[in-house]
Amino acid sequence: MNKVLKQVIGWFIAAVFFFPIYFWITVSVKKDKDIFALPPKLFDFELSFQAYEEVFGISRFLYVEDMGAVRPGGGDFYMMPNLVDSIIIALGSTGIAMMISILAAYALSRLPIRGQQHFMGWILSTRMMPPVAVAIPMFFIYKNIGLMDTHLGIIIIHALMNLPLAVLLMKSFFDDIPKDIDEAALLDGASRFYVFWRLIVPLAIGGIAATAVLCFIFSWTEFIFVLMLTQTGLKTIPVVSTSFVTSTGTAWDNMAALGTAAIIPAFIFILLVQRHLVRGLTLGSVKQ
Amino acid sequence: MANQKSYSLPSIMTSDSSLPWLLPLITMLIVFAIIPFFYNIYLSFHEFVPLKRALIFVGWDNWIKLFTDGVFWGSLKVSLFYTFVCLIIQLVLGMGIALLIDSDDPGFGVIRSVLTLTLVIPPAIAGMIFLIMEDANYGLIPWALKSIGLIGQEDTILADPSLAIWGVMIVDIWQWTPFMVLILVAGLRSLPSEPFESAMIDGAKPFQIFRRLTLPMLHKVIAVAVLIRGIDLWRMVDYVFVLTSGGPGTATYTLSLYSWQRFTFVQWGYGATISLFSLIVILIVGNAFIHFAKVKW
Repeated sequence: MNKVLKQVIGWFIAAVFFFPIYFWITVSVKKDKDIFALPPKLFDFELSFQAYEEVFGISRFLYVEDMGAVRPGGGDFYMMPNLVDSIIIALGSTGIAMMISILAAYALSRLPIRGQQHFMGWILSTRMMPPVAVAIPMFFIYKNIGLMDTHLGIIIIHALMNLPLAVLLMKSFFDDIPKDIDEAALLDGASRFYVFWRLIVPLAIGGIAATAVLCFIFSWTEFIFVLMLTQTGLKTIPVVSTSFVTSTGTAWDNMAALGTAAIIPAFIFILLVQRHLVRGLTLGSVKQ
Repeated sequence: MANQKSYSLPSIMTSDSSLPWLLPLITMLIVFAIIPFFYNIYLSFHEFVPLKRALIFVGWDNWIKLFTDGVFWGSLKVSLFYTFVCLIIQLVLGMGIALLIDSDDPGFGVIRSVLTLTLVIPPAIAGMIFLIMEDANYGLIPWALKSIGLIGQEDTILADPSLAIWGVMIVDIWQWTPFMVLILVAGLRSLPSEPFESAMIDGAKPFQIFRRLTLPMLHKVIAVAVLIRGIDLWRMVDYVFVLTSGGPGTATYTLSLYSWQRFTFVQWGYGATISLFSLIVILIVGNAFIHFAKVKW
């Protein structure tokens, strides 16, 4: 096919996939009259950062007077606490998932394990569980042990959700490091743990970073566990963003402001680890 | 080696044994995956009785109810339709785009980067993006479809029982086709170039090359992509939750959403039964797929 034509079609496809993101960002900086305009105003709208102010709290109590009318929903759009909740949960669950998975992945990569294939199959099967099928029993278990509606409870369940990804991905990164390094150090009298901690982990640091970023993103975007295992104590951004839809109308600009603020950091993160992205998406089985 | 061990710990507790390395993972999987699984089985034989404010043993009632419940069969149909149709569309579309952008020319790297962006959007927020774009009154998708005459002036997407599921599927296709594209591009890029060059010299047509060379050589990559995407399509709940909440009526209930909905109506046992059914199906199908497609990790 003609090279120029290929370029044109390629850019067209990229534009089609990018369009909804662009549209969403424009909603966050539009006024209501432009949000509801048809044909849609894609470029020639009035800029307004009102929605960001309401969501992130610079003038959280002023919005009714400014708009000259009561806003749909009429509730409090201040979302800073939810942003903090999201960050705490994503960082905490990533930390736990990484600590557990790096140890396990090293063993799966280096040490003889009886029934290794079955064990890997078990890990993969955990990846298949529908979140609802885990969340319903966890609801009762958490109620009984007091983890319901707590940060720790969500951190643990998100860590569990990310474990299959983290273990399999880290195993594939460890597999890339020649085993001769371990053997040589072991012959010199170093212990397994010393080899792991002082030699292999530093060599795998790029893979560890990529795995951690993916765990962070999957916790950041997770919805159903937070929906079912929290009540009033905390809400992460994906769940709280549904609360902008009310019976009296939807605060689109606020929702888009929160949504935009939630996806921009994720964009930056994912572009940083793009080199390992395919390997991450396939749980370590397809290498770039 | 052995004589260097002057300490007397049993070997199973030293770092030469695999047990200490795997123990945290095994503990985590038992406590938060195995126990919930058995608790779910327990729940499926019980039901909450509001009058007694307790879970009462009901035997096979929940399972009998499951197989006689029209809404359950409807949601099973929606889940199957959603999974298979999205999977096929994403695979075909993904393959087409991957073949197009598999190139070293400048510019294609940027195109691939742009395509990664949809993957990190929280699915709930992706649902919101399309909720406003598909809105009956001011959404630009119905407006565009009306402008070119594909749907009538009074038609809607998300409130129409037969169109609503497509309104949900379009979000999934938008967000996850790039998943297929990126994986398939990585697969295409790792293929050796010699067989393709000699096929070209032999005068093979592009379609023949694709059919006889590219597809068989990509077999493993395609299998992995289909497996992971299939699992996630089957588990999907965020999009329907945000876009239709299962409506209109029960037209877009998936198994997961129906299970969640029964759960919120305090039919805890029945909700657990539906989720358990969905779990068992994916465990069997997923592991059978891994076995027969010879996917290896």
